Amino acid sequence: MKRRTFITGAFAGTAAIALGVNLYSPSITTSSDDIHHRVLFSVLLPVFLDGALPEVPSHRDIAINRTLDAISQSITHLPIEQQQELMELLELLEGRFGLLLLSGSMTPLLMREPQQLIDMLEFWRNNYLDMLTTAYNGLRELIMASYYACPEHWGNLRYVKPTFLVPNAH
Amino acid sequence: MAIIDPIITGLSAGWHHIDASTLEMDRHFDADVVIVGTGAGGGTAAEILTEAGLKVIMIEGGSLKSSSHFDMEERHAYPNLYQQAAAMKTADKGIGIFQGRTVGGSTTVNWTTSIRTPEQTLAFWEQEKSVKGLSSQDLLPWFELMEQRLNIEQWQFEPNRNNGALREGCEKLGWDYTVIKRNVKGCWNTGYCGMGCPVNAKQSMLVTTIPAALDKGATLISRAKVIKLEHKGDQVVGLTAQALTEGLMPTSVNITFSAKHYILSAGAVHTPTILMRSNTPDPHKQLGKTFLHPSLLSGGIFAEQINGHSGAPQSIYSDEFVWRDGATGDLGYKLEVAPVHPVLIASKTIGYGVSHAQLMANFNQMQVTIALIRDGFNQQCPGGQVRLTDTSLALDYPLDKGFWDGARRAFLSMAELQFAAGAKKVLPMHDGLAFLNSWSEAKQAINNADLGLLKTIVASAHVMGGCAMGEDKTLSMVDGFGNSHYLENLSVMDGSVFPTSLGANPQLSIYGIVARNATALAQKLTQTG
Repeated sequence: MKRRTFITGAFAGTAAIALGVNLYSPSITTSSDDIHHRVLFSVLLPVFLDGALPEVPSHRDIAINRTLDAISQSITHLPIEQQQELMELLELLEGRFGLLLLSGSMTPLLMREPQQLIDMLEFWRNNYLDMLTTAYNGLRELIMASYYACPEHWGNLRYVKPTFLVPNAH
Repeated sequence: MAIIDPIITGLSAGWHHIDASTLEMDRHFDADVVIVGTGAGGGTAAEILTEAGLKVIMIEGGSLKSSSHFDMEERHAYPNLYQQAAAMKTADKGIGIFQGRTVGGSTTVNWTTSIRTPEQTLAFWEQEKSVKGLSSQDLLPWFELMEQRLNIEQWQFEPNRNNGALREGCEKLGWDYTVIKRNVKGCWNTGYCGMGCPVNAKQSMLVTTIPAALDKGATLISRAKVIKLEHKGDQVVGLTAQALTEGLMPTSVNITFSAKHYILSAGAVHTPTILMRSNTPDPHKQLGKTFLHPSLLSGGIFAEQINGHSGAPQSIYSDEFVWRDGATGDLGYKLEVAPVHPVLIASKTIGYGVSHAQLMANFNQMQVTIALIRDGFNQQCPGGQVRLTDTSLALDYPLDKGFWDGARRAFLSMAELQFAAGAKKVLPMHDGLAFLNSWSEAKQAINNADLGLLKTIVASAHVMGGCAMGEDKTLSMVDGFGNSHYLENLSVMDGSVFPTSLGANPQLSIYGIVARNATALAQKLTQTG
């Protein structure tokens, strides 16, 4: 996701001008942003991780929350430029006009049915515009890496790391 | 079992190590030689120059981490030990790049494969890139020296099933294969080399040359990012670094250095970047030409347990297709395997939702073959270009038709091999192909696949070039001994001196060439006093 990609692309640029709004607002993540982003990711996680998340509701909630924490952590490890690119995408997804640009609908993601979310991801995934494919790949990698980074999510893999070492022994 | 950590032991014994994140004010240091970077090049040079009696300072942008920190978990290894938390990408996001950023550089996290520079590559460099004095014969004593130093020997154990499948496929098809030489001593065969060896068996720079240099009085400064060289006429007159925080973010504390001689060993990408930021001469625009061995991945699902996370990550390779059409012919590719760890596999596979979850459920049955494309030898895949950005750097690496044609051949070879080895299903890592159930189905599907940027997963663990060696100044930045063409007291000693990619995993090429060049430099510096 190249910086300013979302307003320099022909598709996005045209719509932005037509709507008469400035869709690009660079900002540094604050804790309130983080809360908004958690809401956004909590909508996307069940779609990306369908089949991997536990089915028991309480376990599922724990796994989602654990992954949201891991995503926040993963973001802090990204270089500043990548963080800015990601924040730009998340802000677009949280705004009605941004959503219109990226998904053709102003309906907030929180209010969409799972199939509508899948349709949006498939639209990005198969789009001829690199910026949408990049957005799909970026979110996919971040979510998958964050989920499978957690040892408590390795049950489906039937994998555990070796346990032959004594922690901090020297 | 408790493991002795040689770094903690050395620090207790009084090694000169400064963690720049603890500095509260600007500092200045003097030395005979300042080395920027502690990977395969910097580590090798540091030992040789210190051994020669020179006062050496090593500067490392990453942290000093050692076996006590290596807990075999990707969530800690990637942010602590890799450039950009292992999320580094080319400018168009088409290629994911794995490169170390820690004391020991990529040698701390590589998979231990040790291969001498192929003769075809050396011949190409001599004929096309004006490299002199680097024939196989010239390099032989240096390879032998470093192989002995780092205990590089052919792997004697049975390959794990991941590598075993590669061997079996080659045997069935009558393809060439080789048992890999590894730089290990007392290896536990666990499979976690990529996250830092937890038992100090890997003979990386972290546990060999760097401790040897520190034992003899060298100084190591970690978490310090070199910003630029100061130069006047044909001399480097100083070097400036910025102290980083514990989390490797910039601080306002500057560290300056003065030395008789300066060595850049910051690795391909970062060595040329330092020179670009310093505005050193580059009249023929040779800085930053980068090669990656851009690699394709193919997953094979077997009926039996493969357990690709367990056992030496790489112990077999096949050169069946690397040189088949000659150095300048159609793109060649080396076949190897990649270890199977949760984050690596989850992020480098395709799709989401139920299909991805099912793929991950086959984690222990998954064999992963990789094809490393040999780039930089012709226009089918000429390589990339590093450039500075407002805040950092970017690597432009276009992937054109020549590359995708090579990628298609590589996917075909990998699928053929995996089915020959007994795979029930094969999944080329390209968004658009599903699991393929037979070699004939695979042949048709791969031939018709719309391979391309962002749809096909391309990764690199070998960053090379950017400051090429050679005698012709219109083709190179340094001579065959790594000496700058333009600044008398500056050398480059790392993988950035390669004028093309290698067609082989790079660490032993760096060790051998740097051992030769650092020895020559040590003689020069000690003779001139």
